[in-house]
Amino acid sequence: MQLRPRIIPTLLLSKNTLVKTINFKDPSYIGDPINTLRIFNELEADELILLDIRASIEGRVPNFDLLDKISKECFMPLAYGGGLKNIEEVRKIFKIGFEKIIINSSSYTNPSLIKQIAEEFGSQSLIIAIDYKKDFLRRNKTYYLSGTEKIGQDVLDWCLEMESLGAGEIMLTCIDAEGTWNGLPLDFISEIDNKINIPLIAHGGTAKAEDIEDLFSNSKVSAVALGNMVIYQKEGMGVLVNMPNREKIDKDYLKRLDSSA
Amino acid sequence: MIYCNNCIFNETTPAISFDEEGVCNYCHLYEELCLKHPAGKEGEEILNNIFSEIKRKGKGKKYDCVVGVSGGTDSSYLVYLIKEKYGLRPLAVHYDNTWNNSISTENIRKVLTKLDVDLATHVVDNEEVDDIFRSFLKASVQELDSSTDIGLAAVLYMFAEKYKVQYVIEGHSFRTEGVAPLRFSYTDGKYIESVQKKFGTKKIKTFPNMKLHQFLRWTLFRRIRKIRPLWYIDFNKKAAQEFLQNEFDWKYYGGHHLENRMSAFNMSYLGPKKYGIDGRVNAFAAAVRNGDLDRDEALKLMNQEPHLEEGLVEYLRKRLGIDNEFDDLMNLPNKTYEDYKTYKKTFERLRPLFWVLYKFNLVPESFYIKYTSKSEI
Amino acid sequence: MNIAIIDYGMGNLGSIKNMLSYLGKESEITRNKDFILSADKIILPGVGSFDAAMTNLINLDLKSVLEEAVRHKKIHTLGICLGMQLLTRSSEEGNMDGLGFIPSTTRKFNFDQPDIKVPHMGWNYVDVKNTSNIARDLPDDSRFYFVHSYYVEVDSQENSLFKTNYSINFDSGIYKENIYGVQFHPEKSHKFGMKILSNFINI
Repeated sequence: MQLRPRIIPTLLLSKNTLVKTINFKDPSYIGDPINTLRIFNELEADELILLDIRASIEGRVPNFDLLDKISKECFMPLAYGGGLKNIEEVRKIFKIGFEKIIINSSSYTNPSLIKQIAEEFGSQSLIIAIDYKKDFLRRNKTYYLSGTEKIGQDVLDWCLEMESLGAGEIMLTCIDAEGTWNGLPLDFISEIDNKINIPLIAHGGTAKAEDIEDLFSNSKVSAVALGNMVIYQKEGMGVLVNMPNREKIDKDYLKRLDSSA
Repeated sequence: MIYCNNCIFNETTPAISFDEEGVCNYCHLYEELCLKHPAGKEGEEILNNIFSEIKRKGKGKKYDCVVGVSGGTDSSYLVYLIKEKYGLRPLAVHYDNTWNNSISTENIRKVLTKLDVDLATHVVDNEEVDDIFRSFLKASVQELDSSTDIGLAAVLYMFAEKYKVQYVIEGHSFRTEGVAPLRFSYTDGKYIESVQKKFGTKKIKTFPNMKLHQFLRWTLFRRIRKIRPLWYIDFNKKAAQEFLQNEFDWKYYGGHHLENRMSAFNMSYLGPKKYGIDGRVNAFAAAVRNGDLDRDEALKLMNQEPHLEEGLVEYLRKRLGIDNEFDDLMNLPNKTYEDYKTYKKTFERLRPLFWVLYKFNLVPESFYIKYTSKSEI
Repeated sequence: MNIAIIDYGMGNLGSIKNMLSYLGKESEITRNKDFILSADKIILPGVGSFDAAMTNLINLDLKSVLEEAVRHKKIHTLGICLGMQLLTRSSEEGNMDGLGFIPSTTRKFNFDQPDIKVPHMGWNYVDVKNTSNIARDLPDDSRFYFVHSYYVEVDSQENSLFKTNYSINFDSGIYKENIYGVQFHPEKSHKFGMKILSNFINI
């Protein structure tokens, strides 16, 4: 029996503002971080991911002061990622009130940090973010530093490596799909999910409620992270923070529960 | 305390005067506007004419008008009216001052989704707008939210220009809101600029201010007209709210302008506590004149505490980073827009020009009445 | 009202204080013996491992303080997540004894189905076994945020407050006299969690 499908708004922090990118490029400003999180809290989002997309590239520490203000707005679990390099920074994030931390670039440059975090705080507090793009031979390969540099690992290999080091979840982001409204790469996501033992969060490309329904009916993926869908009124139109309607998704979920009982 | 015998304005209301029957000049203004802008059958005909013109001019374009939306009663009802009843093809425009609460975003979403209307949003830079809000608090004037009014006005013109649309539709209704005393909410682009210059700590690069030359360009050169359809119908707020709830699952947010956290703070906290003004009096007075609210009932409502979102003041203090100075700011000696540089004198000098502009629907009549006259009404 | 949130170095202390503050109640994050013994309500949070938690409690002298507060002074106490597991006799996660305030044990989730992942992490529902105390007026579709790899089993059903299904039915809430425990995180469960905390405060 699986848990209720998780729908996770994912917001990108750049300095002191929220932005949205397309294929990890061309950030456009979408609003104030504190107020936007307050709205998602009012909308009773089940959980939320906040990523500082400039911290690693600029080699700076997270904006702890801003994160502290943000965390006080939410009565649901929050995950933070962006520029986390050592255990002291991680401790600070948990102290501020975030439930989970997300590591991407540091997983490549300092993998022992993963083990350290898992041992001190438990795997359930640690999400490893893996961003991938197709190379010229159409193979999915990993990138880091907000998609600006190629590492070139095979995605599945890296997922398994991270799992063995103690990752609690994998957040898998398709850079080619991110911000495009073109839909999720369902086949690839399912393929990975079937081969790993820890929960997978699918991220990048979701355009409409039907995409989410498809994902949860046709795979065992536990979560979907949403960007464009929760930020804009619709494709091509203005900013309007919103949460997708869960009715049909939950109904299908309960039907699947009943049929497997 | 002398109260108007008809509505509930009293002698402390700016620019007020009473006739021999103890009825105030705002009530007389209301009567004049009712005569000039009839509702009922006549109003219907006027609206039909205006809307036919809008449709004609908009042929072949993606949208034939832009309409400002905030999630509030007036604008939500307005979009429904012009789309469903009159068949216009509007682009909804929202000025997001980054202080929305979820009631407004949800109301906008529900109404526009059901009506299948596209939304364009201008989200102002949060750091710039917060600096402007801080400046206005330091300026110690009651128009804390004036940047939102100007921002919305500018953004409506910007999108009208972008989509080559000639008409901006606004949801103001003199029947339900009255013509508010100018001193309750003065706003103009020079005012914003001069307050920010004096007290600001950040350079303002992207805030959509509206300077006089831009305003004249949009009106005189681009000829973008402003239409206020609610001036021509018997718009009843309560009935509109019930309709919106049933039709769209729209939610009420506790009071006029309370769907946005900054205007809510201004209306329910700053106004009453620092300046002794309770903005609710406008809507209540208008409702009394309109016959929608009993005068005694209105006075009773005024005695109730204005609705304030849980934790709002703490949120504002934290977000603006003024927790330590908050009490000092609240205790500053009160000033008015007249203590800062504004366009007011310019507007007065250009009164004849603005008369022409109002006759051509290029500026709202209430703007002409309030801003260009020396008496503020 | 004095609400003491026990600080033994483990747990979401700030988030609990934040939700209580939203509910209009001040609280103290503390390890001070006098404050705890004179508190009206005690909250025992917890995130991490059983033995590490018990070790900290003992080293900080808090084990004896809690014994005094809970068993003798009968102060209303709420254990959250690991804090609830500490109320049991022992846990399969570690070797040390628990506080043993409620007759129960803590076991490990052991599933041989690949579908069902450990930890139990996400939002799940509860079946209310007793509506008279902290579960009063809880809406039917109440859901809460869970994140745990071990679960509690009461010795006697009379101490079961909530049951939750995650392949097996386990006790997601326990109680005995002045002592309560919830496996989920009320401080991360929106209005549902607020109802639990608010009920607890008003007991």
